[in-house]
Amino acid sequence: MSTRFAMAIDLRRCVGCQTCTAACKSANATPPGVQWRRVLDIEDGRFPDVSRTFLPVACMHCANPPCMHVCPTTATKQREDGLVTIDYDLCIGCSNCIMACPYDARSIEHTPHYAYGEPMQSETARFDPDRLSVATKCTFCKDRLDLAAVTGQTPGVDPEVTPACVNSCISGAMHFGDVNDPDSNISMLLGGTQHFRMHEELGTDPSVYYIWDGAKNGADA
Amino acid sequence: MSAAKNVKRVPTLCYNCVSGPDFMKVKVEDGIATEIEPNFDAQDVHPAHGRVCVKAYGLVQKTYNPNRILTPMKRTNPKKGRDEDPLFAPISWDEALDIVAARLKSIRAKGQVDESGLPRLAVSFGHGGTPANYMGSFPAFLAAWGPIDYSFGSGQGVKCVHSEHLYGEFWHRAFTVAADTPNTRYIISLGANVEVTGGPCAVTRHADARVRGYKRVHVEPHLSITGACSAEWVPIRPKTDPAFLFALIHVLLHEHGLAKLDIAFLRDRTASPYLVGPDGLYLRDFVSGKPLAWDEATGQAVAFDTPGIVLAVDGRYRVAKAATVDADAARCEYSNVEGATAYRMLVDHVARYTPEWAAGICDVPAATIRRIAGEYLEAASIGATIEIDGKTLAFRPVAVTLGKSVNNGWGAFECCWSRTVLAALVGALESPGGTLGTTVRVNRPQDNRHLSVKPGEDGFMAQHFNPTGSNSWRPVPETRNLHSTLVPIVGRNGGWSQALGPTQLAWMFQENTPADWTMPKPTYPEMWIVYRSNPSISFWESRRLVDAAARFPFMVAFAYTVDETNYMADLLLPEASDLESTQVIRMGATKYMEQFWDCHGVVLRQAAVAPQGEARDFTWITTELAKRTGLLPEYIAALNRGIAGVSALKGKDYDYSLDPATPPEPDQIWDSVCRAATMTLSDGKEEHGLDWYKEHGFYAVPTSRLEWYLTPTMEKQGLRYELPYQERLLRIGRELGNRLHEQKMHWWDEQLSEYVALPVWDNVPARWERELVNSGARIEDFPFWLLTTKSMQYHAGGNAAIAMMHEISENVRGNTGVIINADTAAELGIAEGDRVEVRSHVGATYGKASLTQGMRPDTLVIVGQFDHWATPFAKDTERASLNTIAPMSLELTDATGSGADIVRVAVRRMARGAA
Repeated sequence: MSTRFAMAIDLRRCVGCQTCTAACKSANATPPGVQWRRVLDIEDGRFPDVSRTFLPVACMHCANPPCMHVCPTTATKQREDGLVTIDYDLCIGCSNCIMACPYDARSIEHTPHYAYGEPMQSETARFDPDRLSVATKCTFCKDRLDLAAVTGQTPGVDPEVTPACVNSCISGAMHFGDVNDPDSNISMLLGGTQHFRMHEELGTDPSVYYIWDGAKNGADA
Repeated sequence: MSAAKNVKRVPTLCYNCVSGPDFMKVKVEDGIATEIEPNFDAQDVHPAHGRVCVKAYGLVQKTYNPNRILTPMKRTNPKKGRDEDPLFAPISWDEALDIVAARLKSIRAKGQVDESGLPRLAVSFGHGGTPANYMGSFPAFLAAWGPIDYSFGSGQGVKCVHSEHLYGEFWHRAFTVAADTPNTRYIISLGANVEVTGGPCAVTRHADARVRGYKRVHVEPHLSITGACSAEWVPIRPKTDPAFLFALIHVLLHEHGLAKLDIAFLRDRTASPYLVGPDGLYLRDFVSGKPLAWDEATGQAVAFDTPGIVLAVDGRYRVAKAATVDADAARCEYSNVEGATAYRMLVDHVARYTPEWAAGICDVPAATIRRIAGEYLEAASIGATIEIDGKTLAFRPVAVTLGKSVNNGWGAFECCWSRTVLAALVGALESPGGTLGTTVRVNRPQDNRHLSVKPGEDGFMAQHFNPTGSNSWRPVPETRNLHSTLVPIVGRNGGWSQALGPTQLAWMFQENTPADWTMPKPTYPEMWIVYRSNPSISFWESRRLVDAAARFPFMVAFAYTVDETNYMADLLLPEASDLESTQVIRMGATKYMEQFWDCHGVVLRQAAVAPQGEARDFTWITTELAKRTGLLPEYIAALNRGIAGVSALKGKDYDYSLDPATPPEPDQIWDSVCRAATMTLSDGKEEHGLDWYKEHGFYAVPTSRLEWYLTPTMEKQGLRYELPYQERLLRIGRELGNRLHEQKMHWWDEQLSEYVALPVWDNVPARWERELVNSGARIEDFPFWLLTTKSMQYHAGGNAAIAMMHEISENVRGNTGVIINADTAAELGIAEGDRVEVRSHVGATYGKASLTQGMRPDTLVIVGQFDHWATPFAKDTERASLNTIAPMSLELTDATGSGADIVRVAVRRMARGAA
């Protein structure tokens, strides 16, 4: 079976610290206001019976991606390994994909934005004009995955070829790997835990799995 | 994106909060720092596996922030004040250093202490000692200087977890207290937001523990991050935590009883068997003066350390002959007197503190309190053992942890005492799985709390209190916060003791002293040096503090940007920041918070990129100051003693001493420090210089987990933890009262009420209400409690000027506004995002409403320390702050000198469209 890269996020561990959000911005040089990844802070119930859940979200790299189906230029594509990609040369910035994505995972910036108005050296060094007026989103750090094919390293095991967010996670909530490989770390983890995928009912077949305890998030066993 | 020509990854560290150091690498492309990454080279030595928290990812922006001060600046407007533009003008380093050196030399010529007995030089550092990890060799300069006043706090000392620091060190050498998270099974957490403040190590460990199946009950008025990650949230009424904890003790003692507790621990490791006489003092052996205990074998009272005796833990016993010793050695002799064991005194004392009693105070159901106490006792697994490095220890996997505003200010003594007693009752104090101390700061040596344990009086550890005796007490304060005069327990062991004095008194008494003040009038420091600290934002009643700071004659600020404190400075000195400078620090073993590791060693913070502008490495600045002040030999002697490093630069197997006559380059200093540290850690087997560390980042050697637990050390020395009965504190409080009253001063009398043998409930929240009434306000006008909480993105607020932190912090509920119960808000006509005014009797602060169900209806919370008006970027974020409206008040100062972040307020929606 061909590789399908997937992410597993253990909600029992996540503390909503936004370290993955920051690491993603650091690794991908996204401009202010653009977050390819973030952690939602969700409240449920009424005082005093209230729960608060932290839910990391980003592109789900769906096997059946609504964004791809509505793309008029075929800029959004799907790779053999499951990654949903955007070809900036083909994207016309029409926003169809943004409206179609049920996960609110995509952004478009039409003008450069910098943290303090004028660009800092670190921003100038990494500014990419190709990202203006096109849809952008989480790539699963595809350059790293492509490097794995060259080096023979294993995504999800070797940090050099693992998405930045997964590497950064201080609670150890985030895992990555080939979900079609029954011996991969992620397959073994999912095999021993309860999990769900977001909006599965939409038929998107997302590649992000959320591990939970099946009851109240964070509760003791 | 253009292809980078030269890419490297530089190993270094983050120590932006006390829960460090954590490891990271800086990706540098063509000499420009572009990314922060974990350092997985350290994954086997670091409990968080080489990862840093969110704050570290802001360090690239911190480096290139266009608002940085990048050249020395001199104030040209002689007038100081919030409304006075300082008109800072650039000057050269030569001119700046000469100005500072001339001032310092002038001070030395006059004498380092002024006519009031106070140091002419004052120095303030920020959050929890973390600046020491960024100030290079500056500690060696301070050591070379002589008397310095560290009185002017920015929050540390009184707004930190202050009572925990002082009483924690007193009871179990625990400047900071943590659960043994890797081993524990049950935690009662009162406001301890360890997922926010504990750094990556705590986050990693508690995540592991959740998956492992531990249970944490979080007790706090609002549903914080830690509350969200806990099995149960108990929304307690603010500042009623002592009542909750007293009731837990009541349940253990009265509803479960001694037979279910850890009798051996109470008998052998605590003062539970000591007999207390009718005057509330220990009954002592008539001749030796040692406390008496009841020997069940012979049926008589004997000195507690008589060999071969079987001590009774509980009971009342008749003693033929005994003496008690009160304050100032006042001796009272008794015959045929009844003595109750300290344990019995405790049992009788808490009889009144039933869960039903506490429920009415805490707004927590009695059944909940009773259940939690029962769960705690059951999880304690009394009788269980665990083997650690070949030694069998008691295994007691339960802990009680306390957070800020629970463990500082009025009521904190009661909470700290309760927490420690709860641990002792089940043998979990300093035992595997239990409640641990992790570092010492007011005892020495600071890098090994076990070595700070020495035999003292009455079978307890030796303590190093400030003296209260009639001939030894200091009637003339040696610092402006009066630490050695007013707070015996803070000790007088150097900078940390001073900095932990009642720092708000230093600020308040610059304005006015109490009416019956009979000591020398406090003076302004002739020079105030500030680094990595912004008390004009981080202290209470911050606008009043600004006015006080504006009157200081001369202020030098090591400055990142202009801020609300250095707005009053005469000189700004730009130091190379986190990614631009070099320093070697200790790591591992046991340090703050949950920093107890399986190894220890040293780690290098190195210059990943060249400093921006004219910013200079702090060590270079320090050496120049030493040279220009004429203190070079003393400064280098301090460096050679290891003051700014890890170990002395000369040891039995090595000599890397620096020449006292030659100003060393920074890298020369750190090369010597690296070599000395490696030789020390490796017992002379390895030598690595700075170049090796620049490549490898750190050097570690194993630490036994036995180092985590103090009880084996206590056992080895035959010592007892000084509880549950606080006879010594009772005596010391009386002595302190005698001294103050002899000087005709009564302004500290209320604080003296905290010196009791067994703490009582005295309606802690009412203290804040009384202060309000005494200020001329009406309670009914301020119907809510306002609290504050921390944010991992900002933590102590030092990175409030970093744009990325601001952006991503907005993902966290309530981080940008005034958090209010949604139903309460609806009653007040307040909607999400509405601009609201929060007003106390001393002022108002403004922010956006953030509605939640995870909040008591009678409480508001504002995250962090904001309300900036000078710091670029931060001043445009329009965030409210408790500090603006919480009073600095003697009335709200407890006996340790601390206060708490709480104030009565009113809240209202501002008119739509209000600016």
